[in-house]
Amino acid sequence: MVRYLLRRLNLFLATSLVLFIVLFIVTNQFPVEQRFALTGIQSPNAQQIAQIETDFNLNSGVFNQFIAYLQQRLSGNLGISATSQRPVADELASVLPATFELAAVSGTLALMFGLPLGILASLSRHKVTQHTIMAITLTGYSIPVFWLGLTLSLWFGVELGWLPISGRLNLLYEIEPVTGFMLVDTLLSTSPYSTSAFFDAVLHIILPAITLAVLPFTVVVRITRSAMMTIMDQTYIKAAEARGLHTSRIVLRHALPNAVIPVIKSLGLMLGSFASYAMVVEVIFAWPGIGSWLVAGIYQRDYTVIQGGVLAVALIIIFLSIMIEVLHTSINPLSRKELYASN
Amino acid sequence: MSMLIKRLSRYAMVTCLGVLAVGCGPQRVPPGLVYCSEGNPESFNPQLVTSGTTVDATSQQLYNSLVDYDAKSGRITPSLATDWLISDDELTYTFTLRKGVDFHQSIDFTPSRQFNADDVLFSFNRVIDTNHPYHSVSKTGYPFFQSIGFDKQINLIEKISDDKVAFHLNARDASFLSNLASGFAVILSEEYADGLAIRGEKEKIDRLPIGTGPFQLIKYVKNEYIRYHRNEHYWRTLPKSEMLVFDITPKSTSRLAKLITGDCSVSALPKAGELEVILAHDELVIDSQPGFNVAFWAFNTQKPPFDDVRVRKALAHAVDRENILRVVYQKTAVNATGLLPPMSWAYSENKPIINYDPEEAKRLLKEANITKLSIDIWAMPVARIYNPNALKTAELIQADLANIDVKVNIVSYDWSVFNQKLSQHSYDSVLIGWTADNSDPDNFFTPILSCSSVTSSSNRSRWCHPDLDLILAQARSTTNIEERKKFYQAAEAIFASQLPMLPLAHATKLAFKHKGVSEMELTPFGGISFTGTEESANQNKPKEELR
Amino acid sequence: MPQIKVYQGDEIPSPMRKIWLTFADNPFAFAGLWAVAGFLLLAVFGPLIAPYSAEHQDPQALLLAPSWDPAGTVEHFLGTDDLGRDIFSRLLHGAHLTFGVALGIVLTSLVLGFIIGSISGMMKGLKSSILSHLLDALLSIPSLLMAILVVAVMGPGLNNVFWAVGIALTPQFVRAIHQAIHEELQKEYVKAAKLDGANPIQIFWYVIMPNVWDTVIIQTTLGISAAILDIAALGFLNLGAQAPSPEWGAMVSQGMDNILTAPWTVTIPGVAILCSVLAINLVGDGLRSALSPINN
Repeated sequence: MVRYLLRRLNLFLATSLVLFIVLFIVTNQFPVEQRFALTGIQSPNAQQIAQIETDFNLNSGVFNQFIAYLQQRLSGNLGISATSQRPVADELASVLPATFELAAVSGTLALMFGLPLGILASLSRHKVTQHTIMAITLTGYSIPVFWLGLTLSLWFGVELGWLPISGRLNLLYEIEPVTGFMLVDTLLSTSPYSTSAFFDAVLHIILPAITLAVLPFTVVVRITRSAMMTIMDQTYIKAAEARGLHTSRIVLRHALPNAVIPVIKSLGLMLGSFASYAMVVEVIFAWPGIGSWLVAGIYQRDYTVIQGGVLAVALIIIFLSIMIEVLHTSINPLSRKELYASN
Repeated sequence: MSMLIKRLSRYAMVTCLGVLAVGCGPQRVPPGLVYCSEGNPESFNPQLVTSGTTVDATSQQLYNSLVDYDAKSGRITPSLATDWLISDDELTYTFTLRKGVDFHQSIDFTPSRQFNADDVLFSFNRVIDTNHPYHSVSKTGYPFFQSIGFDKQINLIEKISDDKVAFHLNARDASFLSNLASGFAVILSEEYADGLAIRGEKEKIDRLPIGTGPFQLIKYVKNEYIRYHRNEHYWRTLPKSEMLVFDITPKSTSRLAKLITGDCSVSALPKAGELEVILAHDELVIDSQPGFNVAFWAFNTQKPPFDDVRVRKALAHAVDRENILRVVYQKTAVNATGLLPPMSWAYSENKPIINYDPEEAKRLLKEANITKLSIDIWAMPVARIYNPNALKTAELIQADLANIDVKVNIVSYDWSVFNQKLSQHSYDSVLIGWTADNSDPDNFFTPILSCSSVTSSSNRSRWCHPDLDLILAQARSTTNIEERKKFYQAAEAIFASQLPMLPLAHATKLAFKHKGVSEMELTPFGGISFTGTEESANQNKPKEELR
Repeated sequence: MPQIKVYQGDEIPSPMRKIWLTFADNPFAFAGLWAVAGFLLLAVFGPLIAPYSAEHQDPQALLLAPSWDPAGTVEHFLGTDDLGRDIFSRLLHGAHLTFGVALGIVLTSLVLGFIIGSISGMMKGLKSSILSHLLDALLSIPSLLMAILVVAVMGPGLNNVFWAVGIALTPQFVRAIHQAIHEELQKEYVKAAKLDGANPIQIFWYVIMPNVWDTVIIQTTLGISAAILDIAALGFLNLGAQAPSPEWGAMVSQGMDNILTAPWTVTIPGVAILCSVLAINLVGDGLRSALSPINN
């Protein structure tokens, strides 16, 4: 097991290194001065120029420049944002929690509704039910997320006036960020308005979370269904049925744990598109997370923000996909066998 | 099996109920006002910019000027200066300063003294004195002041006593007081600047502002919001709202949607096409004011082929401005016959500056020996008062120019980047405009067409014409209205013959708001004031008479 | 020697035919196939049958409702946008951009991915593992981020979307083909062929490839639907096709300005994207279930 974990760690480091190389190359291709692309300082004075040149080793070969670049970035120096003059690392820290919050809520929604529906779809022998569920999931899978978001906000926000359609909180509430998660911060806040702020935060997250949940939801339903259908045909289920166990017990105790394994794997494979979707959703609902920050960064040609955002998102995806793989391996008895085999 | 389905559906129902219960809870919202604004301010010091977005977010909220301009009476009124004396030769203006005015207090700064002459000296010397320690702290320069040649205009600013300051001018200038009343001529705190200089944090002065205005900056989050608190020591009547929030929403549709969902109470710069939406919603009303502005299509006259007046005229002849007025403004603007809007006292009805005539355009291009012309049009990404949708305007012009075989490439960036890139002068032509800061007709010429404004970035045509400068100088040197009117007509004539830019329209200034929002001060000029504004709690009750 | 059929009913269809029969048996998949064929025709001939050009502005007909609305007219079947441009015509022109460009991107990255994937799949040891690390890193950059990087370097535009989505898709093809080949390589029948003395090229082409085609086909349908959605999303974010372009995503973004007064300017291009992606996914789904018995 230790050897396996070391291998995964190694994989993480290697992929991150490749990522840094890609970013280093791209940074040098930006259509602006290299110094500006690296630091975000617009018109540096002589002292700053000297500082940048020593920091990034600009007067030596490409390889040394890359080493210096790596050192700077790893030590947390992501430069400053040209538009706000604040360090990119600080901005990153303030936008990441919002994205995590949104992703967590919509991931939970997707699992909470996707798993039961997938199981239902696999158990139902009714053609109509099956076709309906498949039609819904296939549509959900094909729907352009920006269009879905716009339509939902038009209906539920503007026409019906039920739900707010932008931001995380009514701006009149002054909530000091503690954890960065609005749902937690509003409860921690000592403001006399903290409860109503909490409910306001809940209302604000509903539409973006539902929009973002559609993709993982459909994937979860489809994978759960096909896995359950395979598993319910297995002999050990038949054996359980023969022993006279209750259907619900068979499904929940015997079949589901095995059906969850491919679901976890598919979640790992979905991370990339989930991140893309999350960015679009954040833009539509003005959710102040890393996605809208990054998109604003590209509109503003804020090159340090672009680098910082891409780096952070890609690193998170690499890390999470490896974590999911480890989780998958650790709960899947079949793949544990492969631990010791060659990769 | 059916048991399972039952259990699952029960579980689903509980979840749904939970969501509903949350939605029904009573909502208590802290008192305050949310204004949906259109973009990020570039800085928190209006001295450094010409963009209306920044002026809106700073001038009337955070600062005061020496004098104010009262739009209703058209007069200059006291503000930080209680009164002023003009010498007989009109070269010396002596201001008596108000006593008992407090500056804001922040984490970085606790004022030990009240507003006095030193603050006035600091605020203006920073702009005009190139050796001033704070002069080069801003990297953008002082575009408004440079464009009107403020540094050449002023000989000396003299502190007579703690509450008396004298401005000595080099030449008579009828627009001097108007310029002091503009949103750019704000008063900063000298004490704050000194403190920052000692700590070596000079650049903070424009980022974490200290002023004397009705509101104080609490927090600014780029792309999201600006939060202000009421200045509890404000020297005039206290603002009615305890809190003011600018919700930064670049898309006009989103601003309207937020207004409908109640996320904001006032929304800036609506698009003309959205008026009918407002009419369909009982709780929303429209504020409008004939605008003191002009939208134009400026050619970069220092870049070939736009240095050739025939090319400029050809392009102008090819554009169907009536169509732009109908499609983009939808009757919320009047056709521009020159730079001055009909509201200005110097305006006189002259014939349309240039007519729609594609054949003439083709002829002129042929005469100038131009074939296969392909030009860039830079279009602002955001709505401005003078042009609610520059991108659409650009698309219309693109289609018009296709008729005379000119290819158009539309360029647009985020607003702050757009402004930055404009000042690098690489554009062919740009769709932009100008909102006057005061009613003086000079404000429509000197800041945007004089030679001194070429060095600042506000002359979008980069056009310098000595004859025009001479006429403008003559017009400023007299206070006789009739005489001045003649000079400005002469200026309009030069403008029409050279056509460095094609004026498109004078737009009506609009804002949407909830019915419960009281007393928002919408001036025909730049800037917006929220001092008297609040949102009454029972906003949904109809029949509340407002303004 | 001529074959004599002794047992009449025992004709065994070829694998290809079998797949086709299973596929055609599924009405949804079949309908999807028709729709895809329709979209293909539109992508090629759309501009020819469109009643107006994509940029034709009719100032007399601004924001006209679709023809089924009482306020609409038949001249503008799907209504007009705020510059008086015919939405139906723009959709037809846009099919060429959204659908056509997506196909182009997928074909290009398929060929690239196929070559790299085949070579790397046949390789073993260090080289293969370096390559797979590289792929993992590239795969971890979502297509939208890749597009942002490309736009940051080259500026927005439909040409650059080609590169952005292509760069994002290629690693997926490489990885899928690499893994499929890798898995097949370890199977017994390949060993048997090796023992028969087949050289690597023969093994690759005659032994392994017939078993990898289905992966390629499924991956291609997935790729096309992903490419359409990505192109549209980039157009929507203003990073792809620029303003007057009738690319479907860009049309949605241009319609955003009028979503409250003229919702059809957003709804109609959105439905077009949804239908095209749905058709492709139906076909992909049908293919997958038709191919799966063979896999098992």
